[in-house]
Amino acid sequence: MPDANRPRVPIKPGFFTVPDDPAEPPKFLSSRCDSCGEYFYPRRAICAQCLSEKMTDVELEGRGTLYSYTFVHIPLFGSTNIEHMEGYGVGQIDLPEGPRIQAPLAGKQPEFHIGLKVVAELDTLREDGGRDLVIVRFRPVPESEVTR
Amino acid sequence: MKDVAVLGVGMYRFGMWSDVSNATMGREAGMAALRDAGLSFRDMQAAYVGHIFAPVMTGVRVMKEFGLTGIPVQHVENASATGSAAFREACLAVAHGIYDVVMVLGFDKMTAMIQQSTAGTAPESMEDAILPAAFFALWATRRMHERGMKPEHLARIGAKNFNNGALNPMSQRQADKPVTIEKVLASRMVAWPLTTMMSCPIGDGAACAIVGRADLAKKLRPDRPVVRVVASSLQSERYARGHLFQGPVVGPAQMTIDTSRDVYEESGLGPKDLDLVQVHDAFAIEELEYYELLGLCKAGEAEACIERGDFELGGRVPVSTDGGLIARGHPGGPTGLAQIWETTLQLRGEAGKRQVDGARVGLCHMMGGGSVCVIHILTRD
Repeated sequence: MPDANRPRVPIKPGFFTVPDDPAEPPKFLSSRCDSCGEYFYPRRAICAQCLSEKMTDVELEGRGTLYSYTFVHIPLFGSTNIEHMEGYGVGQIDLPEGPRIQAPLAGKQPEFHIGLKVVAELDTLREDGGRDLVIVRFRPVPESEVTR
Repeated sequence: MKDVAVLGVGMYRFGMWSDVSNATMGREAGMAALRDAGLSFRDMQAAYVGHIFAPVMTGVRVMKEFGLTGIPVQHVENASATGSAAFREACLAVAHGIYDVVMVLGFDKMTAMIQQSTAGTAPESMEDAILPAAFFALWATRRMHERGMKPEHLARIGAKNFNNGALNPMSQRQADKPVTIEKVLASRMVAWPLTTMMSCPIGDGAACAIVGRADLAKKLRPDRPVVRVVASSLQSERYARGHLFQGPVVGPAQMTIDTSRDVYEESGLGPKDLDLVQVHDAFAIEELEYYELLGLCKAGEAEACIERGDFELGGRVPVSTDGGLIARGHPGGPTGLAQIWETTLQLRGEAGKRQVDGARVGLCHMMGGGSVCVIHILTRD
């Protein structure tokens, strides 16, 4: 089970931040093209749109809009987290800067709808040598928190 | 593409064959294709071999089963589109006069892959943790939102493909009685709204095509029509906003539109000329989308066409006549060649109970890892 005192490490480095404050949402390690302005997740050295090599590392806020969703009726691969045993949601999330991200969703299917505002959070997959191995998932933003 | 013909085809039935090796399945599919062509392995000037899950060099090792004649053997891999991509390389080589007769062989053992896999215990990335079916389910949810599709439409595709598969002796899934929409809907939910009977199974198998100069086809088998490959295209993705770079992706819809436009232009044929079509129906939602992307119907009309039975045997343009990936199976390497097997038999008029009357033009479409699209058009003289 997650333990606030255990260090958290990403399942694979180079994709998202792991903030020291557990209440702070992770950010997505992304790139912006200096030539055409397009944003990309994950990071890349050459712009996929204009082929420019002038790319700047950026961190994008983990807030976006649900483009599509499903609910998988099979436990999440590699997870020992009891919460994942009865299945899990998966969504495509559009970040305001442009990138679309596929990630698990927290919650049950009736809570999801296209256009839903969602926010990223870290989710513990399992314990690994005294550390919590984490992935990113998105959860619905409560109506009261939706500002726009 | 000029003067390229399918001289012979053969298959090792797709199924859960954990006790049968790639070498055995590959050899039997290959020998069946050679017999069908009326040729010996000694006549083969080159071989193109495709597999996804077997170790490096397995293709060359399996080719030794036929005899060691020194011919060039080339591996081709493009995920699900592996067999189709290998077939394309063979066609290009013959079309450009490099060889007269070549073998294309695809095989795979997903059952062995599953046994060895650590999937389920230790994903190496975030995307590995998610069931691949989920990514196709996301396409279905979107379609329901935009076009009012219902799970019943997907179930009707699943039922059609199961019932077509029951007419194909090489099909992995063999239903013992007609499959209904209700049965497909009641099968186990995998990733909403996709159920197991709207999804392809894992399996093992092999398939082979002998490709050669069209004039040889007439000489070798004067008793039957010549089946020509008149167009071939392979494309990868073009960037557009909202592109997904991570995860087992479905691939941009535009890629199938662009690739089909290419083969229609090359062949001078259009969607209205097609008598039968095979698609990458790993999940029923894919088949539904490809109806529109290949131009079999207009955008937004797939649901109405399904309700009319347009794509069923006896309908306007039958799709997945051999059962498709959903019923005939999808081991990986051989899948695209199973489409060539089916289309060749149909164009020759040798498809038995699932024969499309008077079939003259067939299209085969495959996607590889959502990142490449391969399409061929075959015709009968």
